[in-house]
Amino acid sequence: MFRFQSLDEDCTLEKEEGLVEEEDEIDQFNDDTFGDGAIDDDWQEEHKRLAELEERKNDGLGGLGLGGLGMRGMGGDSSTVQLPPPASRVPHPSSLPPPHHSLSSMPPLGLEEMGGGDLAESLAMLILGADPAIASVGGPAGPGDRSTGLPPPPSMPQQHHHPSQLPSHHQLTLSGLPPGPLHPSLLSYQQHQHLLRRGGAPMPQMNSHNIWENNMGFGPVSVTPGLITQMEDSPLLSIIKEVGLPNRPPPVMSEDGRDLSERAPPPRSSSPVIGSPPVRAVPIGTPPKQPMSHAMNHQQQIHHPTTVHVRAPVHHQHRYPPSFPERISPNTLLNMANSPLCRPPFPAGVGPVLSQIQRAQMLNSQVAGFPRGCQGPPLLPGGGGFRPFFGQPPPHRMGPHHNHIPCPIIRHNTTHLHPQHRRMLTQRMQSRGGERGGRVGDWRSRDPYSNLMTQREKEWVAKIQMMQLQSTDPYLDDYYYQNYFEKMEKRQERDRDGVRKEHTTKLITPQVAKLEHTYRPVQFAGSLGKLTVSSVNNPRKMIDTVVTSRTDDEEKREKQVWNKRRQILYTVEKMYSLLLEVQDFEKRFMQTPEEQREALLEQHKTHTLQLYASLKEKEWDDRVSDEQCLLIMSVRKGKRLISRLIPFLPPLQAATVVMGIARNLTALAKKDKQDQALCWLVEPVAVVISSLSSAALTDLLQELQGSEGQLSKVLQNKFGVTLLYLILSEGERMQSSDLNCQLMDDNRWTELVFSVTRELLNVPPSSLSPPLFTPPNLLSLFSRYVDRQRLELLQEKLQISALSR
Amino acid sequence: MNYMPGTASLIDDIDKKHLVLLRDGRTLIGFLRSIDQFANLVFHQTVERIHVGKKFGDIPRGIFIVRGENVVLLGEIDMDKPCDTVLQQVSIEEILEEQRLQQQAKQETEKAKVTALKDRGLSIPKADNLDEY
Repeated sequence: MFRFQSLDEDCTLEKEEGLVEEEDEIDQFNDDTFGDGAIDDDWQEEHKRLAELEERKNDGLGGLGLGGLGMRGMGGDSSTVQLPPPASRVPHPSSLPPPHHSLSSMPPLGLEEMGGGDLAESLAMLILGADPAIASVGGPAGPGDRSTGLPPPPSMPQQHHHPSQLPSHHQLTLSGLPPGPLHPSLLSYQQHQHLLRRGGAPMPQMNSHNIWENNMGFGPVSVTPGLITQMEDSPLLSIIKEVGLPNRPPPVMSEDGRDLSERAPPPRSSSPVIGSPPVRAVPIGTPPKQPMSHAMNHQQQIHHPTTVHVRAPVHHQHRYPPSFPERISPNTLLNMANSPLCRPPFPAGVGPVLSQIQRAQMLNSQVAGFPRGCQGPPLLPGGGGFRPFFGQPPPHRMGPHHNHIPCPIIRHNTTHLHPQHRRMLTQRMQSRGGERGGRVGDWRSRDPYSNLMTQREKEWVAKIQMMQLQSTDPYLDDYYYQNYFEKMEKRQERDRDGVRKEHTTKLITPQVAKLEHTYRPVQFAGSLGKLTVSSVNNPRKMIDTVVTSRTDDEEKREKQVWNKRRQILYTVEKMYSLLLEVQDFEKRFMQTPEEQREALLEQHKTHTLQLYASLKEKEWDDRVSDEQCLLIMSVRKGKRLISRLIPFLPPLQAATVVMGIARNLTALAKKDKQDQALCWLVEPVAVVISSLSSAALTDLLQELQGSEGQLSKVLQNKFGVTLLYLILSEGERMQSSDLNCQLMDDNRWTELVFSVTRELLNVPPSSLSPPLFTPPNLLSLFSRYVDRQRLELLQEKLQISALSR
Repeated sequence: MNYMPGTASLIDDIDKKHLVLLRDGRTLIGFLRSIDQFANLVFHQTVERIHVGKKFGDIPRGIFIVRGENVVLLGEIDMDKPCDTVLQQVSIEEILEEQRLQQQAKQETEKAKVTALKDRGLSIPKADNLDEY
């Protein structure tokens, strides 16, 4: 495992971009890349220690003895620990005592030189000297004082005098000689303990905190030399010589003290958050993240296994704190743990010491070639028996205690199992729990390398494997399993003759919710497209197709409309081409030579005929079809066409067309509201009107007035107004010019004009659209028919100036 | 205790002594320290055991990391069971020598077989056990 110096800014950058939701996830991704423990500080220590174990194994008893190796090793360690570049180590607590250096400079005591008698003493001195905690007891440290430095070794002799005051349940191990720094609180606890001991006060029931603290921070609590002398010298010393006093790993300080530069580089982004579902789930390849700080205390941050320290209990508590239903107090547990160890030489608190020794022995035995059976005194299974493996039933060596825990605590996720299956398993486990535990416990706890794979990592692997079992369709994914258990249930029911109906358990299948992670691209107003961020989960769409489904009816109608329109346009086009031909006739006529003029004339006639024909209805040859005209007129181009066409039409037909227009002016006007294309018709229509007879004119006027309210609508339209005026002016012209005008013969004209005037007077000025032009003789017309008053009104309204007259 | 009841998992095998047979025929014995979801294994105090006939030899190898796909089978060694075996442990040099001899003998027989077949006009293609190209 390599530690990379990560850039702080990278981490923050990630945060700023919002790619990482929490700070924890940074760590998570760190672990992704670099594996669990990348942020682990103590692996170096651990590695060194383990390496030394190997060394010592190989060296045997020769050469350096305990003290020398231990000291040197520790010293070496301490030096490396204490003086590394700050970037690569967690800064040690400030209480790092100078005596460490002094320790390293202490001359290694060659144990081999010691005689038997003062062996213990020198050993004790060594141990105590090396243990700053012990050394510090004699110092000014009070119970509440947690930050004192460690007083120099000379104070240690005081320790020698208080072997007997060790409380029975106080834990002691070989002082492991923390070359590393002591955690101040641990230190003070030790001090506290020693003080209490000295004071002779019976140790009160210890705070669970402190117990674990003690275990966690430094397994080896100081052992008084008295104890040591009581031990059997040869095995212990041999072990000690071989194994050495293991180092205590420096407890990791709180997170604030951590040097951020030792973080691994920023997380690899397997999927950008934008456009993808939020990465809340841990990707499969992720080793478990080490919990950085436990709620209970910061000292429990030694994540790697400390082989020689009683770490397991803390681990268990670390990992299972809330869910241990039958919470046995740590004290009782310790008692349980220590009970088998209660031998005359040792008060029960020496458990951990023994475990260590036994571990060493095991190590020995491993070297020798895996001897069977345990050696040495019976073993405290991991100091409290909280190893995860047999954590559920805690120390199962304790037969009676085992019974107190009726069923193992199942912490794994078994929701996916068939209930029948689960029942079977629990039964199986219960039956198996007692018999297996003890043996395994012994052997495992002797192993200094055990629990290299932390509980968390195990859970992580288990979780991954469980994830594979999740399914949305169990019958699809695991057909035989489901069937098997169903059959079993049925069989059981049959056997029971269906007595217990309530046992028909329902199959609980894990409902893995299908999360809808559809990414909706965001679109800004006014932009031409959508802002799409593509990712693994949301690949870019090449074509943004939107399905619009329309009903059949709608489609038909739409189609019809379009078809009709298309047809009209087609007709218009054709007529246009004809018209153009006709229009160009003159020009061509002049250009063609004499001989071909005849032919051309013929052609021209044909064309004109065709034009008429196109306007005609099918049945009646002589009538221009209104409908057709209207259709054509409904298209703007058609209006233009008609306007150009009318001059070429024979007068009768032209008149008819104009009549038709007038008749349907409202409709046309409605369609024409936007672009007023009708106005093109004014000129040709004017021409036509001027050629109209009086009767026809009257008719035209009548047509214009046609139905109720038509006139008012007509007046709203520019063309309509203009047309009206044209008619009226024509009528006036007729009257004024030709005294013999037949216009007056019947009353129609008069009536019509009256109604027109009435309408004109009534219509609100706003709705009266201004005509294209106002014929001048209107006033004279009106003057014939209306009285002065009204005339003036009309005049005002229509803005017919008297001058125009 | 089983983390995943009803399933087979290597989690319970951690920190136990195991024997693993690899795809290349090697036999490793060691303490299983760590696993992952691919059944990659981390062995500690590994010993490669070479068997030739009734003899075997152990070569200490230290720490092994085995990629999961190369594992043929893996089994726990029961430390408590009495080890009464007819196999005779020899030194490393001896066993390696024995192995070499065995390989040699095998090659010679194979060669002879192939020659014999060739003489008779048959050729059996050599089965490629390894999928290394």
